[in-house]
Amino acid sequence: MSEKRDNRSRPFVDGQDLKRWVSAGLSWLRHHQEAINALNVFPVPDGDTGINMVLTMQSAWQEIADSAEKSVDKVAQMVAHGALMGARGNSGVILSQIWRGLARGLDGKEVMTGNDLATAIDLGAKTAYKGVIHPVEGTILTVIREAAEEALQAAQKTQDARIILEHMVARAQDAVNRTPTMLPVLAEAGVVDAGGQGLYVILEGMLRYLRGESVAEDLRLMRVVDLAAVHAQAEAGYGYDVQFIIVGSGLDVAAIRADIDAMGECALVVGEPTAVKVHVHVPDPGVPISYAVRLGSLRDVVVEDMQAQYQEFVAGRERPPVVGAPMASTEIGVVAVVAGDGLARVFQSLGASAIVHGGQTMNPSTEEILRAVESVPSNRVIILPNNKNIVLAAQQAQELSKKHVAVVPTHTIPQGIAALLALNYQSDLEENAAAMLQAAQAVHTGQVTTATRAATLNGLEIKEGQLIGIHNGDLCVAGERMDEVIAALLAKMEVEKLEIVTFYYGTDVSREEAETLVASLREVYADQEFEIIEGGQPHYFYVISAE
Amino acid sequence: MVQTKPGGRIEISSAAIASLAHEAVLRSYGIVGTVPKDLATGIANTLSRGSRRGVVVRVQDNQIYIDLYVIIEYGTRIASVARSAMNVVKYTVEKTIGIPVAEVNVHVEDLHISNPD
Repeated sequence: MSEKRDNRSRPFVDGQDLKRWVSAGLSWLRHHQEAINALNVFPVPDGDTGINMVLTMQSAWQEIADSAEKSVDKVAQMVAHGALMGARGNSGVILSQIWRGLARGLDGKEVMTGNDLATAIDLGAKTAYKGVIHPVEGTILTVIREAAEEALQAAQKTQDARIILEHMVARAQDAVNRTPTMLPVLAEAGVVDAGGQGLYVILEGMLRYLRGESVAEDLRLMRVVDLAAVHAQAEAGYGYDVQFIIVGSGLDVAAIRADIDAMGECALVVGEPTAVKVHVHVPDPGVPISYAVRLGSLRDVVVEDMQAQYQEFVAGRERPPVVGAPMASTEIGVVAVVAGDGLARVFQSLGASAIVHGGQTMNPSTEEILRAVESVPSNRVIILPNNKNIVLAAQQAQELSKKHVAVVPTHTIPQGIAALLALNYQSDLEENAAAMLQAAQAVHTGQVTTATRAATLNGLEIKEGQLIGIHNGDLCVAGERMDEVIAALLAKMEVEKLEIVTFYYGTDVSREEAETLVASLREVYADQEFEIIEGGQPHYFYVISAE
Repeated sequence: MVQTKPGGRIEISSAAIASLAHEAVLRSYGIVGTVPKDLATGIANTLSRGSRRGVVVRVQDNQIYIDLYVIIEYGTRIASVARSAMNVVKYTVEKTIGIPVAEVNVHVEDLHISNPD
């Protein structure tokens, strides 16, 4: 691979260097996010470690993305602040503590030497350990502690940040591999620790940057959107993101890497003589594919239009709270947290003034909710969190806002819809909040999703990947077939005693599938009225409301 | 908490559930201590360092409700720490005794400053 950046001759790391480290660490982490999610079994197997770490690092990155700050301590402090504000989940909180210690270790430093790096990392590890009474070994804590030990040792021999980081990465990987021997639950599940792996990936991303290697994602995509820059880049065009695996014999990885690298940007070529994974950004996707086809057979070919990806990214990144119909400032505004465009439209059509995108595994921060509350042109606002895990953030937004805010603690989308329908513009905020909560509690909610991990809950043996049915937050059904799971779930919900059943189908379900399913249910439940609405929610195949 | 199964009854005391929850919460990242619910009656408890202080378990209509009175490390994102503690305690108790927990409430009683910055 050609040398793209010359970072080797620099004796010191300044603020802008650290900024690029963070960017590379985040990019590499995002690239591995799904794999890290899949490892998550401890402390709770909810499959969100990767996304939590990414969101935490992204919040850190946003603090420095537009900064031209030269001193390394200022940049580290901004990163620590951003990580703290955006910390999500256990691993996110620990990560933010590591950054906090690291920033403290760099206090007063314009630039950092190898020694500074090692002592700052060590302080980061120590700070992380102070946040818990009984530290559990075999987690991210073990990985940062061992990486720090290694950094201190390496710094006695060299002041070269790249070499120190090389030692840290090797030790971190070793520590990650040993996590199952320290934490039995990992060994049982046959995985390494997800948070530890996440930290290793961040460090590896930083090292890859220092070595001039690609971190797979275009760094420009990671920038907080700068509109002028977006237009300039959009005109230049992004071309195509091409990925494939070459399967053959006697493949020369180094030669392929050199050839692919010459074709485009962000080349990533890894593998062994029998299989080589290629990732590259090129203007013409035909070029690398025709080249590779001569070397062996191609598997898992993916070609993506980066222009479209980029626009999606911008749209997602910049997604402002969706503002509904204009209203008088004396009216009551409603902010709803919703995942899925279909559900967002349902809430808007029922009069929600602003939508915050989020839900299961994608919890919005207090700040995002607060911003939506402030965006509503009304002084009286009701928040519908629509998820148990978001109620706390909503309540914090309530405390932080100067407006008169009430939180109706809805735990599910159907509860949120029922609450919204009960809103009476004539009554005051407290009366409304009480009436809405009552309406919400009258609704039965069913949810169907897949188990991310094997587990035994409520006396049910659940296998990974099995369909599970949840009634009012309690997992009550597990099975292989959608129709059977739904039938059992509706029985638990005692639908025969209710009147209206609404199916909100998610992104993984087509309208036809939903209609076929509901048609067969209409035969069973002749007295009930069934409705089908496109919810567009992730994770949940169906969200079912019955009242 | 009583479960009647064919062949007998299993009774799990609130104290047992509280010990379990206490153990879990102290392993939850960001929680650096628990405090008795009522400080006045709690001084003796503090001295005895009982394994259940700061955890109150109620069983109502065969549902488990757990209240945690905790101290959180200063400088962490309190909402995330509290939510994790909630999840960890719920998961640990459910996994261990196989009975669903209706509610886990986290009461942040104090912050502890171990890293002055």
